[in-house]
Amino acid sequence: MGNGILDIAVTGLATAQNQLLTTSHNISNAGTPGFNRQQVLLSTNTPQSGGAGFIGRGVHSSTVQRIYSQFLTTQSLQIQTQSQSLDSNYTEIKQLDNMFAEATSGLSPTLQNFFSAIHDVATNPGVIPSRQSMLSNADALVARFHSMDQRMSQIREGINTQVSSTVVHINSLAKQIGEINKQIIWAEGSAGGQPANDMLDQRDELINQLNKLVNTDTVRQSDGTMNVYIGNGQALVVGAQTLSLEAIKTPDSPNNLTIGLVNGNSTIQLPEDQITGGTLGGIFSFRSNTLDNAQNSLGRVALTLAQTFNAQHQLGMDLNGAMGTNFFALPAPNVISASTNNLASNISTSITDYSALTTSDYELSYDGTNYTLTRLSDNVSATPSSSLPLTLDGISVTSATMLASERFRIQPTINGAKDIAVNINDTTKIAAAGPNRTNAASTNKGTGTISAGTVNPLPLDSNLQQPLTITFHTPYNGEFDVAGTGTGLPATNQTYTAGADISFNGYTFQISGSPAAGDVFTVTPNNNGVADNRNMLLLGALQATNTLENGTANYQTAYGQLVSQVGNKTRELQVTSKAQANLLAQTEQSIQSVSGVNLDEEAANLLRFQQAYQASSKIIEMSSTLFDSILRFG
Amino acid sequence: MRVSTGTIYETGTNLMLQQQEKLINTQQQLSTGRRILTPSDDPISAAQVLNISQSAALNEQYSVNRSSAGSSLQLEENVLRQVNGILQDVHSSTVYAGNATLTDADRKTLATELRSKLESLVGLANTTDEKGQFLFSGFQANTKPFAQTGLAVQYVGDQGQRLNQVGPARQLAVSDSGTDVFERIKNGNGVFATAASSSNIGSGVIDGGSVITPSSLTGGNYEITFAVSAIGVTTYDIVNTSTGSTVSSANPYVSNNTVSFDGMQLSIKGNPANGDKFTVSPSSNQSVFKTVGDLITALETPASGQSGGTRLANDLKSTLQNINNSLEHVLSKQASIGARLQEIDTLESVGSDQNIQFEQMLSQLQDVDFAQATSDLQRQQLYLQAAQQSYIKISGLSLFNYI
Repeated sequence: MGNGILDIAVTGLATAQNQLLTTSHNISNAGTPGFNRQQVLLSTNTPQSGGAGFIGRGVHSSTVQRIYSQFLTTQSLQIQTQSQSLDSNYTEIKQLDNMFAEATSGLSPTLQNFFSAIHDVATNPGVIPSRQSMLSNADALVARFHSMDQRMSQIREGINTQVSSTVVHINSLAKQIGEINKQIIWAEGSAGGQPANDMLDQRDELINQLNKLVNTDTVRQSDGTMNVYIGNGQALVVGAQTLSLEAIKTPDSPNNLTIGLVNGNSTIQLPEDQITGGTLGGIFSFRSNTLDNAQNSLGRVALTLAQTFNAQHQLGMDLNGAMGTNFFALPAPNVISASTNNLASNISTSITDYSALTTSDYELSYDGTNYTLTRLSDNVSATPSSSLPLTLDGISVTSATMLASERFRIQPTINGAKDIAVNINDTTKIAAAGPNRTNAASTNKGTGTISAGTVNPLPLDSNLQQPLTITFHTPYNGEFDVAGTGTGLPATNQTYTAGADISFNGYTFQISGSPAAGDVFTVTPNNNGVADNRNMLLLGALQATNTLENGTANYQTAYGQLVSQVGNKTRELQVTSKAQANLLAQTEQSIQSVSGVNLDEEAANLLRFQQAYQASSKIIEMSSTLFDSILRFG
Repeated sequence: MRVSTGTIYETGTNLMLQQQEKLINTQQQLSTGRRILTPSDDPISAAQVLNISQSAALNEQYSVNRSSAGSSLQLEENVLRQVNGILQDVHSSTVYAGNATLTDADRKTLATELRSKLESLVGLANTTDEKGQFLFSGFQANTKPFAQTGLAVQYVGDQGQRLNQVGPARQLAVSDSGTDVFERIKNGNGVFATAASSSNIGSGVIDGGSVITPSSLTGGNYEITFAVSAIGVTTYDIVNTSTGSTVSSANPYVSNNTVSFDGMQLSIKGNPANGDKFTVSPSSNQSVFKTVGDLITALETPASGQSGGTRLANDLKSTLQNINNSLEHVLSKQASIGARLQEIDTLESVGSDQNIQFEQMLSQLQDVDFAQATSDLQRQQLYLQAAQQSYIKISGLSLFNYI
């Protein structure tokens, strides 16, 4: 009898000890990431049957259970990978946002200074210090384009570094998960199917970390292992087996690193659009949706500025009496031959209409018969054609040597801000003057006046500076003759209309008023015309001329659009990432509310199990007393 | 709901971090005075700020251009005022030279005086600005526009007009070519000019004449030839020398009566001799220098006898007319400069109004409301303090304290 009491007391003592151990475990792991609180499940021992019925034989611990919600954990994984994606996207875009934030460091002040310097030259066309100041300001403008572009390239480099290090991290996590899968099979097998709680917690935490890097799906297997898939269902861990990822150059744009799956000796690129969550998803999305666009936008401003400025500058005459040259060096479109292409394949491209340029990249493909030129921002193509040139948005592919199914990527604007340069370093080469001047002979009797005239757009006429003499017929009959050298000259019996354009040798002017018989007007080269600022005024006017986006935006507004786009996107990400973070916090609170350790609760349990232990001890003490009293009888 | 200990700590920390973030943002707004710290704070306003800044800077630039245009025009105006003064003197000298009591020697003295006036005029026409560039040489600012050889003055500049961008859509001429200012002056009465032949021996003096029927003008050259018969009857013939046709012939001459033909009217007085000729030709441009030069030549030529006096009288008459024309021309140039200066003033006041508008718009878009921000700061401070204090209180509570 006494022996039975002792046995029962011992089972109580043992279970209370288990409970105390579990409580201590909970208390000491209160701060361990991924830890789920545990509790001992108790059940009664098989009772002893006797004449008086069943007499209880104490208690035993059936298992130690972790308090865990599979549903909440899965939900949290989905929310977390999105939250991480938004966070890393936001972190990256914030760098751009900050770059555009400073009023003094953006493009606007240097652009304004450059045009102010142009106005200064227009006011003092013959003054060398003014011209020097214009060149210096052009250098400063170009340097600002360079530094902004460099900053964006640095961000791109930073992304590449992140891709590399993330891939290393993913591989290491995958290995650990595979390893722990193996250990769980072994541990649970050797423990007779009891759950290996702490290992399960560890594995969940590893998956949690992996999920922060890339969106992860898990499938639990019957043997207790967990299969892990990333992206669009690409297996990364199957049981104890793991595959590894590698950072590789994107075939279509070698400046970008992306991820590939190592498969034996080769590496297969994982499509970036399938990586939608985690750090990788966030930086890929930032790179393709924001960074490329921002760098292209800035490049487009630089490119259009250079082209429109050059076109006008070439219509003017410099201090040496020569026609203007290219003021800026004009960056060429960047063409990338896909890494799978034949080495000998190549294409030639040119920009035929700068005002039509978009900020997108383009792709030229060939199916053996037809060439297709596609705008990649919305996958719109020009009508496929078997002959070149093929033109879309001002980009023209003029020739191509390529095989069927090969493709080329064309980036018209990406190098604009990087490669723009000032082509002129001699102040006298600034073409401030018009090439010709007009005169009305002082012997003229009529009231006719001749306008100063303008140069027709490029290309220049080879006889532009050939002198012209316009003589009205005597007696006056409303007609005049034009003498000079050039196409269509001499021209006789031209009808006079007051104020109408008269255009010869690529030069256009007007005569108005009432000329009299024998009146003579001349157009002569503008030799020594150092005070002439006509071309400078036209260059200055470019600042407010809408030369981009098919004539709807000027340099400043196009840059403003870029700033506003980045600002809007940053704001959007700020709001959505905050919302997602709140959602994540709520889910984590729910999980914590189920699985987290509450120290007060554990303290209470500690007291409770201590008392249970003490109670069982008392029973042992009592059973000893009972045994003693039996001994006394004996 | 069951709350884990971790949640208590985390929630408390997060709340404090959030309060701090807001506090820092307000603090940055206050210390920079700007509401928009990065474009993402208000993307639309940020882009607007850029565009308005460009407009404001352009407006400022136009103002700089206007002040430079104004000083160029004022310099030119100044020169023209001096030219006007000299021409007034020349005008008085011409009137004085007609005084019958003057001798050849007196007129020579007058001519010497006028030579120095001519040089002053050429000097003024060759004025340079503060950059050493010639004012009246057109585009060739480094070329001295007027070259003087003896009494002849030659223009070697061009007819280019320098422009200045004084407003978004306004280019204002800030110079006038030398031709325009000093040379393009019609002689005679502006339509035709009369002259007496230098070989005349009678005392006939012709006046400047005027136009009575503009539609009848032919624009041709005419010659009026006098004939005195043996019995002393004076008649004259009018021939259009451009066409060779005779307009009228053997018209009886009465001194000071008007002579009208082909829309023109003029009068001749005195007694022309047989064979004396007067010409009428369409007005042509005559420079102010030639007008003064002609006067000097006229004064330096001895005026002896009747024919000499008549020549002088005829020369002085046409000179006076030409000097009046020059004065009028210079005045009209001054008026044109005045109008341009006035336009600059108008544009300037429009510009400064716009400037204020731009500043207001920029301020509205990007400046922080200090009252609002200060009150925000205090409120957020309070919140943060409350969060901190409650965190300390709650984290101090533990059952373990009592075991």
